Amino acid sequence: MKQQAGAAALSPANGMTRGNRWKPAALKTALMLAPFVVFGLFLLFHNVNPVTLYISMIQSTFGDLYGFGEVLLKATPFILTGLAAALPAKAGLVNVGGEGQLAIGALFSTWFAVFYLDAMPAALGIPLMLLAGALGGGLWAAVTALLKVKGGLNETITSLLLNYVAAFTVGFFVHGLLKDPNSFNWPFSPEIASSLRLPVVNGTRLHVGILLALVLAAVTWYVLARTRLGFRIRVIGSNRFAAERAGFRINRTYFWVLVAGGMLAGIAGMIEIAGIEGRLRASTGVNYGYLGFLAAMMAWNHPLRIVLTGFILGMISVAGNTLEIASGLPASSVHILMGLVLFFILGSGRRSS
Amino acid sequence: MMIADILTGAIRSGTSVMLASQGELISERAGVINLGTEGSMLCGALGGFAVTVWTGNPWLGVLAGGIAGMLISAIHAFLVLACGANQLATGLTIMFFGMGVTSFLGRGFVSEQIVGFNPVPIPFLSDIPFIGGILFNHDPLTYLAILFVPCLWYVLFRTRLGIVLRATGERQEVLFASGINPKLVRYLAVLAGGFLAGVGGVQLSVAFTHSWVENMTQGRGVVAVALVIFASWMPARAMLGAYLFGAAQALQLTVQQQGLPISPFFLFMVPYLLTLAALLIVERKQRSLMPESLGKVFAGDGAR
Amino acid sequence: MKTDHPVKPAYLLRAAGLTKRFGSLTANEGIDLEVRPGQIHAILGENGAGKSTLMKMLYGVYEPDEGTVLMDGEPAVLYPPSRARAKGIGMVFQDFRLIPAMTVLESIALAVESGFALRRKQLRARILEVSRKYGLAVDPDAYVWQLDLGQRQRLEIVKVLLAPGTRVIIFDEPTSVLVPQEVEKFLDMLDKLRKDRYGILLITHKINEVLACADQVSVLRAGRMVYQSDQVDSGDGDKLISAMMGEKTLNPVTKQGMHGEEREPILQLKDGTIRGDHGEPVLEGVHLTLRKSEITGVAGISGNGQRELAEVLFGLRKLGTGELTIASAVMNDASTKEFMEAGVTFVSEDPIKESVIPGFSILEHMILDGIEAPVKGANIDWARAQKLLEDSEEARALALADGSRRADQLSGGNVQRMVLSRALIRKPDILIISYPSRGLDIGTTRTIQQQLIELAKQGTAVLLFSEDLDELFKLSDRLVVLSGKKLLGPYDTHETDVSRIGERMLKGESA
Repeated sequence: MKQQAGAAALSPANGMTRGNRWKPAALKTALMLAPFVVFGLFLLFHNVNPVTLYISMIQSTFGDLYGFGEVLLKATPFILTGLAAALPAKAGLVNVGGEGQLAIGALFSTWFAVFYLDAMPAALGIPLMLLAGALGGGLWAAVTALLKVKGGLNETITSLLLNYVAAFTVGFFVHGLLKDPNSFNWPFSPEIASSLRLPVVNGTRLHVGILLALVLAAVTWYVLARTRLGFRIRVIGSNRFAAERAGFRINRTYFWVLVAGGMLAGIAGMIEIAGIEGRLRASTGVNYGYLGFLAAMMAWNHPLRIVLTGFILGMISVAGNTLEIASGLPASSVHILMGLVLFFILGSGRRSS
Repeated sequence: MMIADILTGAIRSGTSVMLASQGELISERAGVINLGTEGSMLCGALGGFAVTVWTGNPWLGVLAGGIAGMLISAIHAFLVLACGANQLATGLTIMFFGMGVTSFLGRGFVSEQIVGFNPVPIPFLSDIPFIGGILFNHDPLTYLAILFVPCLWYVLFRTRLGIVLRATGERQEVLFASGINPKLVRYLAVLAGGFLAGVGGVQLSVAFTHSWVENMTQGRGVVAVALVIFASWMPARAMLGAYLFGAAQALQLTVQQQGLPISPFFLFMVPYLLTLAALLIVERKQRSLMPESLGKVFAGDGAR
Repeated sequence: MKTDHPVKPAYLLRAAGLTKRFGSLTANEGIDLEVRPGQIHAILGENGAGKSTLMKMLYGVYEPDEGTVLMDGEPAVLYPPSRARAKGIGMVFQDFRLIPAMTVLESIALAVESGFALRRKQLRARILEVSRKYGLAVDPDAYVWQLDLGQRQRLEIVKVLLAPGTRVIIFDEPTSVLVPQEVEKFLDMLDKLRKDRYGILLITHKINEVLACADQVSVLRAGRMVYQSDQVDSGDGDKLISAMMGEKTLNPVTKQGMHGEEREPILQLKDGTIRGDHGEPVLEGVHLTLRKSEITGVAGISGNGQRELAEVLFGLRKLGTGELTIASAVMNDASTKEFMEAGVTFVSEDPIKESVIPGFSILEHMILDGIEAPVKGANIDWARAQKLLEDSEEARALALADGSRRADQLSGGNVQRMVLSRALIRKPDILIISYPSRGLDIGTTRTIQQQLIELAKQGTAVLLFSEDLDELFKLSDRLVVLSGKKLLGPYDTHETDVSRIGERMLKGESA
């Protein structure tokens, strides 16, 4: 019954880098490519040559600085909402509320930007706007967290339902209290002051938001893998009973990881406003929360791998535009490709051994 | 007659959710939670609508919609049961995939018009004052849907099939020891659930709105899942919950028609908030009634 | 009670050379076995000797790697269980395969009927008939969760008897859930089954049962048959023991008498009401005092509030009414953390479910509730923790595996070792320990029992939950009994005996 433990096994990060998960590389590559093959068949069926399309998709994303910037731009919110799902997931919670938390974060940051931060210098205004976004996302997540901790409601269901409520809340504001008086009755907010816009890389639309997302991913990873707090979170996520018997305060942890996740998603909302759109619309960040959740799934909730999966999803999203232009297929068909990718990942995933 | 209007509307707009919740109930009784119900409803709504457009026969639409819903739920069943994938994440992916597929395939149907199902008043019964108009003036699919609820109850609690289904959701190893393959039961339950959700989608597009709109279910599938919990896995209570949701929807339409000065966005939220409130009220007793293996999914055992 | 057969009857089932391996472990090797109609064949062996594996092969849960089974003179494939059942083999499991949310009638319908419909009336009549015939009282409309373990076992037996064509019945440690008085009734029922020419396989580790009822006996040790006999005589006891134990020499557990002394109380529960998971009262009017240097044993049929009581004493469950004090500090609303700070340590009854964290190493488990975690910045100093573990006597005594091994890959016995050494390392003031010897071989059991006694000697108050009355009597200074929502006692172990305690477990206060 002796088993080789291996010298490397004794690391506190054990819980995060489970041993034999990685299957042989060839099989893995095949599994990664399979959805693209299936989607290719789908394209052939609609008289589109998949090979030329895939090439033009790659060209448009990696071909020039602008395209690459667009990918990073798309990846930014996915990384953040991915973290918003991954952090609670490490404590055993399934937070699907990134969608609503992002929306409310965007709402809060726009509200503050329009009404209070208008005349502020960037150095003060942008951080405050960021805080407002985090506050909004955190508050929205706190609703789910309270229902979980005090009411015993399952966080998956409540966070999903609250996504719809959040969307209608944003709708309410952009049609009412936050409507731009000069918009000729279009439902969107006034534009935020140009001093509050995030600095942009020349020649692209890329702003510093991506750096923020990378830093937050690194911080999340460090906390989870290298601190006692992270150890506690992982114990709770792996076996709640054991954590209870070790005297951990489970409900308190549940509450705070959900709120922290909400704050991350709220920051994503702020970045959308301050980095790209400049004003709040009902359509701001729609589906980003779900895509982030899927990015987290693809990365097995590993904060650093989410950077990669967020990037891949960003690439597919940008490619969606190419798809529309190059083949006349609607942009929504990219959701089919994304679904396929995820099916293969879920299907090949680790089993509960 | 505003109250009568709202109650009639409750049944009109709530039946799709009701059907989906009955389907989800079957699936959850067997121990599989399927958030992909939303996707099944969308596929059903589009499939049913398309076939009705092509054939002019709404009953063929019902069949097609049911099958469409079932097919997409088969992906869920396969990933969860054969590959051991996380139930909640897989369900979400199905939901997402359903949105993508239907918005892609549904492009051509957005402006189509159909006759579909229309209310058929039941003679005599529909003449009863107040009640008659609310209960007995609906389309045939709705009547069938309502009749389905007691049938499901009978099967669940008065037949051996029901015992097998419930046992699967409680402790599948017991079934294995009794020589029944629990996996097969789960497959069938998920497929049946997908079929019903698909038919629910058909009710939405072919009987209620008579149109196809991208992403038209608007979270009804998610609500159906929530209602099953609210209903503590009992068919009649799921029906009640669904019609409560329907009433909130109808209230919103009525208020808009009456031109009352309430923001429509608040009214849009009401059904979702109502669902949350309902969940919160009944939560305390729930734990003991939840099928055991489902409890594991919720407690995180299925969320790895 | 024994039947005399002048001519040996033909066998119902004959197994030859059955072998089963799990990875590198050979659980059964070359087992030969016969079951004859109207005879009780006892399979005797220690925990871990391979009895369960053998039975699971005969019931079709496992597929044998080698060997054959003959029934009616023809080779028979028993895997999966549906095939075994079709051939007339029934099994009464030790861990009952029942669903709490279902009624007795539904549970039976699931197992013995087929098809879509449910003929309630007919089934009910059949249930009542069987239960009358063999003295197996069960209420068809009761829910399984309402039944105690004895009733559940009767339900399982009715299920097997009602299944069409049953002729071989396997009982897996049937008396482990019964109190002494129930055991007698059970043996009577076995006798009726024998008279009705059922072939019976009785798995047990209790030699006196074998002597009381068996017609044939086989002894398993380390996966092999080491002794088989077609005759069982009342004087065979020593022969069977040495066959079970082999060459092993065991250290006897010794306990010096501490009897009669009044020691200082450390934990007191006064007039406590303890509620179950659904808010229903499980125990009422509980008075319990734990004293320094004393082992208090808790006897009772399991499911009588053991889990709930233990959880209350560790802050995992809120006390309904009453007062709980530790060293005169009121602990009614204290959190688990505060209980730990007050010196309480808890070893739960299901360590695999409640203590093992998937993917975490043994060392990480030790940090949770054993070794004080050495701090290094925001992190834990893992190298120092490892050293502390290596230096621990308790970990060495229990032969704990390498600290870097993943705990979810350990066997049940090794998990138990890990959990126990973790509790012992803490040298707690109060130790609440549930079923410490479950799943362990006799040698390790004795080591643990000795360590508990040493711990008490050093001043720890121990509350010991066990289903083994011998263990309770061997270790405890006082015994309390959980029965009928009451905590009875304490009784001084020197002033009572097994049969009186068994009486109280069964009948409560009236006994």
